[in-house]
Amino acid sequence: MKLTPTARDRISAFWMLLPTFLILIGFYLYPTLYNLELSFTDITLLRLRQGGDFVGLENYSEFLTSSSFLDIAINTIFWLTVVSVVLRLALGLVVALLLNSKFLQDIRMTTVARLIILVPWATPPVVAVIAWRWLFDPTHGAINSLLLSTGLISDPVAFLATLTTVWPAIITIIVWNTTPLVAVSLLAALQTIPEELNEAAAIDGATRWQQFRFVTLPYLMPTISVLGLMSVIWTFNNFVYVWLATGAGPGTFTNVLATEVYLKAFVDLRIGYSSAIGVVMAVVMAAFGALYFRFFGLSEMQDKVG
Amino acid sequence: MHLKTYLATAAVAALSAGMALADAQITFRFNDSEREEMRAALDEFEAANPGITVELQTIAWKDSRDQFLREAAVGQGPDVVHIAFVWTQEMAEAGIVKSIEEMTQYGEFPNGFDDFIATDLTMYDGKAWGVPWSADTWAMVYRTDVLAEAGIDELPQTWDDLLADSRKIKEATGKTGFSFAAANQVWFPLNYYLWSNGQAIVSEDGAGGYQVGASAEELAAAMDYFKTYVDEGLAPRSILAIDVPHDPALLQGLLDGSQAMALMPTNTYRQLLSAYEEANPGADVPFASGVMMGGSEEPKTHLGGRTLVVNANTEHPEESWKLVQFLTDAGLFEKHYTNQFPAQKTLLGQIEYRPEELGFSEQLANNTRTWGAYADSGAGVGQLWNLTSRAVGTAMSGQASSLDAANELVGEVDRLLEN
Repeated sequence: MKLTPTARDRISAFWMLLPTFLILIGFYLYPTLYNLELSFTDITLLRLRQGGDFVGLENYSEFLTSSSFLDIAINTIFWLTVVSVVLRLALGLVVALLLNSKFLQDIRMTTVARLIILVPWATPPVVAVIAWRWLFDPTHGAINSLLLSTGLISDPVAFLATLTTVWPAIITIIVWNTTPLVAVSLLAALQTIPEELNEAAAIDGATRWQQFRFVTLPYLMPTISVLGLMSVIWTFNNFVYVWLATGAGPGTFTNVLATEVYLKAFVDLRIGYSSAIGVVMAVVMAAFGALYFRFFGLSEMQDKVG
Repeated sequence: MHLKTYLATAAVAALSAGMALADAQITFRFNDSEREEMRAALDEFEAANPGITVELQTIAWKDSRDQFLREAAVGQGPDVVHIAFVWTQEMAEAGIVKSIEEMTQYGEFPNGFDDFIATDLTMYDGKAWGVPWSADTWAMVYRTDVLAEAGIDELPQTWDDLLADSRKIKEATGKTGFSFAAANQVWFPLNYYLWSNGQAIVSEDGAGGYQVGASAEELAAAMDYFKTYVDEGLAPRSILAIDVPHDPALLQGLLDGSQAMALMPTNTYRQLLSAYEEANPGADVPFASGVMMGGSEEPKTHLGGRTLVVNANTEHPEESWKLVQFLTDAGLFEKHYTNQFPAQKTLLGQIEYRPEELGFSEQLANNTRTWGAYADSGAGVGQLWNLTSRAVGTAMSGQASSLDAANELVGEVDRLLEN
């Protein structure tokens, strides 16, 4: 039987994609399904060899009805994700515009500024958190020293142990460490905008703000939407910043889903329960990703195809 | 030709077999800070036992329990592992350690297993599963010159005295009186407070079961006691983010004389004394130790310590046991592992304490108790610890009222006990 060119292409594509599929099945699908299976059991770290008993949806119901669920959800969605992602995108845009500005070119500082902005991004998160913990330290920290010496505060502030300052402090660390990636990505997008568009807009009498609003921003939106999606998924699931900065404290004040997974799995040893939280996190992110693509990604792709 | 081939093969096989017997490589996971000293000790062990080499691994204490549980469950992990007393029963229940009964076929201890303290904490299903290695407890540490500066000439005896003296020190000198790690390890002072007032997180219910050993009101009162130090500015609010008593932020205050009183375990105190002597060679040491505070009853701290266990997956049980025997020898504690007390009655009796350490000696000899019901209840000391520390943190930070935090804690401990 003679195959059509299309069929031959499809078979070739299948064989070329097969290794990727196998890797995805082995390293993503299987662990995901295994995690799902564990989430329906009462397995603990002490009974890994014996296995757990099937408990149905008990872990899910216990977590979703627990007294701490609402606090953890608000901490994760609002503080950790929404606030930090919005700040990072906004600051990243400002930094990108600055790096792309004529002002920096005029003073011949473009390259230096671009290198400096990369330093926080090149700093590993663990190192960043430890460095900021020292900066925030009430006794020896530079921030307290500065605030005390300028008379802005009269007593040292324990930034990471005070309810009113702990979330802003964590977000400061996250934004400092991650904004450069956003800035550099937006800078690359900025440089693809044809200069003629801004010139034409200027000739038509558009102000600087109108040029930004109706020329620059639409060009940046595909990049912003992809960066937004990546940042949300990455931040929502992030464990390192909160855990290293505060250990989810003081008390449970900064506990988020990722730290709750760790606490339940490796302090309370409840692997089954912890797996259920992991599944909830995955479902939330999958739903978010689908909605996000529905409203941003898909329409952008259609625009480009169309 | 064939004969030569056979001979050569036999020679290679014999050599390989000989090497396999002679070159056992075992791994010892050791989690304390004395890594260099332990390596020096292991070098001596290797010299005395040709053919056995020991790889020394170190992992943070807070991760070590989970790490070993995960590794051993899949047939991996170090051969000899350094764990906390209270984890031994969990490890035995998980089936990942060898029983002492099985291991003593390779050799007995000079004074027998009964010479070790706290062997009850190693018992599971009628057998012992670990060797108590080092013993420790917590006691009070005082900076005597700061107390003198504040006009305090008698060490506090009760929790109320401690609070009163802290206020006096703050008022007279502006310095911190008593300060403590108020995050993860607030578990210890809170329990000491409860025990000295006849309460506990878990106690026997008198009918063969277990119960929450304090009412929500009593737990709230204990939380309020420690909260007072932060609320009144007697201790810095930053202690809410400090996990351990050897945190530099806590020790620095004692070293530079800006803090008068603390509570800590033996090895931290010895490190503190060494650090002071190193920074002030030849100077008098302005430190004293004392027994923990009392309440309505006698002061009590926990009899803590470390256990050595042999991984059930080890391929070298005999060599592993030789290492355990070496590590429990008196010479190790005299020469290398000098910050710790040995967990053997005969060796404990031979310790010569420095004058600054007499409080620890008194505490260890007469004022300790084991975790007892906490461990026996099956609730899991680790889980009780986590729940309690979190609850105290929510109260001390103002996230919830002390009574709400205490009610939440009672509910959670009840749930653990029911399960």
